Amino acid sequence: MLEMRNVTKIYRTESIETHALEDLSLSVGAGEFVSVTGPSGSGKTTFLNVAGLLDTFDSGTYHLAGQDVSRLSDREMSRIRNSTIGFIFQSFNLIPDLDVFDNVDVPLRYRGLNAASRKRRIEEALGMVGLSARAHHLPSQLSGGQQQRVAIARVLAGDPKLILADEPTGNLDSSMTREIMDLLERINVGGTTIVMVTHNPECAERATRQLHVFDGRIVDLERPRATLAGE
Amino acid sequence: MFRYHLETALKSLKRNPILTALLVGGIALGICVSTAFTTLRHMYERDPLPGKTGRVFYVRLDSWGKDRAFKREDPSSIPDQLTYKDAQNLLKCPIPRRQTPSFITAKFIHPDPKVARPYQPNVRLVLRDFFDIFEVPFQYGGPWSKEADDKPEQVMVIDDATNRKLFGGEDSVGRTVRMEDRDYRVVGVLAPWRPPLRMVELGRNAEGPPEPIYIPFNHTVPQEIWLTGNNSGWKPVPINTFAEWIASERVWIQYWVELPDAASAGAYGDWLRSYIEDQKKLGRFERPVKYALTTIPGLIEEFHLMPEGVKAMSVVSLLFLAVSSLNLVGILLGKFLARIPEVSVRRALGASRAQIFWQHVIEVELVGIAGGVVGILLSTAILRLLGRFMANGDALRLDSEMLLVAFFLSVVAGLIAGVYPAWRVCSVPPAMQLKVQ
Repeated sequence: MLEMRNVTKIYRTESIETHALEDLSLSVGAGEFVSVTGPSGSGKTTFLNVAGLLDTFDSGTYHLAGQDVSRLSDREMSRIRNSTIGFIFQSFNLIPDLDVFDNVDVPLRYRGLNAASRKRRIEEALGMVGLSARAHHLPSQLSGGQQQRVAIARVLAGDPKLILADEPTGNLDSSMTREIMDLLERINVGGTTIVMVTHNPECAERATRQLHVFDGRIVDLERPRATLAGE
Repeated sequence: MFRYHLETALKSLKRNPILTALLVGGIALGICVSTAFTTLRHMYERDPLPGKTGRVFYVRLDSWGKDRAFKREDPSSIPDQLTYKDAQNLLKCPIPRRQTPSFITAKFIHPDPKVARPYQPNVRLVLRDFFDIFEVPFQYGGPWSKEADDKPEQVMVIDDATNRKLFGGEDSVGRTVRMEDRDYRVVGVLAPWRPPLRMVELGRNAEGPPEPIYIPFNHTVPQEIWLTGNNSGWKPVPINTFAEWIASERVWIQYWVELPDAASAGAYGDWLRSYIEDQKKLGRFERPVKYALTTIPGLIEEFHLMPEGVKAMSVVSLLFLAVSSLNLVGILLGKFLARIPEVSVRRALGASRAQIFWQHVIEVELVGIAGGVVGILLSTAILRLLGRFMANGDALRLDSEMLLVAFFLSVVAGLIAGVYPAWRVCSVPPAMQLKVQ
């Protein structure tokens, strides 16, 4: 599903070069649930942005779902983000002026689906996250957990092959965290590949495979789960 | 996608109505001023007969004496009107599709004493082709016949105001009007007709209304009708009788032709040249061969009919629109950049940079069009006000051409104000904003 080889990402200012990703190589198979941990500033989010085609990289190769996405136009990258990838963010990133229904509708609009097809997908997705009754609520009228479920519904409606989750439970309490993790596990069981960045060891534990990023490199790859959990 | 952009733009505009009103007001002010002054300029510049561009000409011949040009200070000048005999001779030319000599006189009308007192309006003498050349609109009847020209018959065309004055506005075709000591049969009543410039005689009172009454030109000699308009002469010959007046070298007839096509102008010019050469053999036309075929816009320019300042004001008003649009750039930039977090989410969810750009351009174009509509309404009011102070103010109004110009200007104003902010907002890398929201 996701294969990076020797990917390097450097942030440059006039005086400083910061190597956010350093010869990063990684392979994630279809249907895997991978957690990515690492200290702050280690390059987790940069990795996720590059993986999600939200950011470019300086060298290396990247194949996503069998397609070389190393050098694509903005339009092509946008199309792949829209059709293949789903994002879940720590701060939910719902559009505050749109109600739940319209928030879930956003990626479908950019896909150019007709109204009936969009409505069906949105209703199904909201049903899967248990928010059918809140379709016409604004995000500000929902709890944090509910907002994150809307964000997940937004992903589900698009039926992506790959979900990239950046600290999806970072702003939630433990009960909500469990709820969201349960939901992600159910989605993964359905066949969707998930790559999740997290600081939470319990969440990382629930992935089928754990990775560790340090100084822009993937380390501890394929290490036993117990070792990672102890860090 | 366009519909979604439109919905998104409308939501965004509704989100902050005061800011939206400010933006619309800024564009409206610019459109109002620029449309008003562009319309004023347009009134003076446009061809009043757009379907006949390059085919309708005012004819002049240099029949002046050899000692000096028509205007002493301008050696290239040419007499502004024709002699009667030249007008009669030009009528023999078969090239024009339509042609008419023309001049103004003043005659007493004697209405039914129960309706109105006698009064003395201007009367224009023309051939029937006049009405077709200038596309004069009729509400009842029409021009008199060719036979009425040739005989000539005592027929008359009156304008709408005269018809209302004499006949209460009803269909008066067939009714009789007593003019001086003769009865004229009404054959046509004009629809209200107020061209911006009195195109049939631009050399005199160009901004005045057209004449209210028209009778056949060929009454001139039998009835010995003297003109009340301008005349000029160069030959110091005493004129005591009408016959002497008609035979003189004085110029007092305006002459118009409508050619079958633009290409005929060359052939007609050749005909005029050979006519002048023939007249030279008879001892007339002492100056080098010269004639002028001038279009109506050409005459407007030649007679400097556009008031000083109108052209300059129209340019200044367009600059004002540009400045008022540029002033909005800062406001829009602030508004759009504040929306970067939302834009970043949309980018993550699959919106391309181009889609984000067009979403914002559509938003500013909605502002531009709304500003255009308000601006057009305001400029209509301003033009009406301006028209009250102008002799030809009735004609100062937004026509379909100017509405299109105003719409175009509002679209351009929107683009001036919005393209840079839209480009800035779509250029922001989405990854920078998603984490920090």
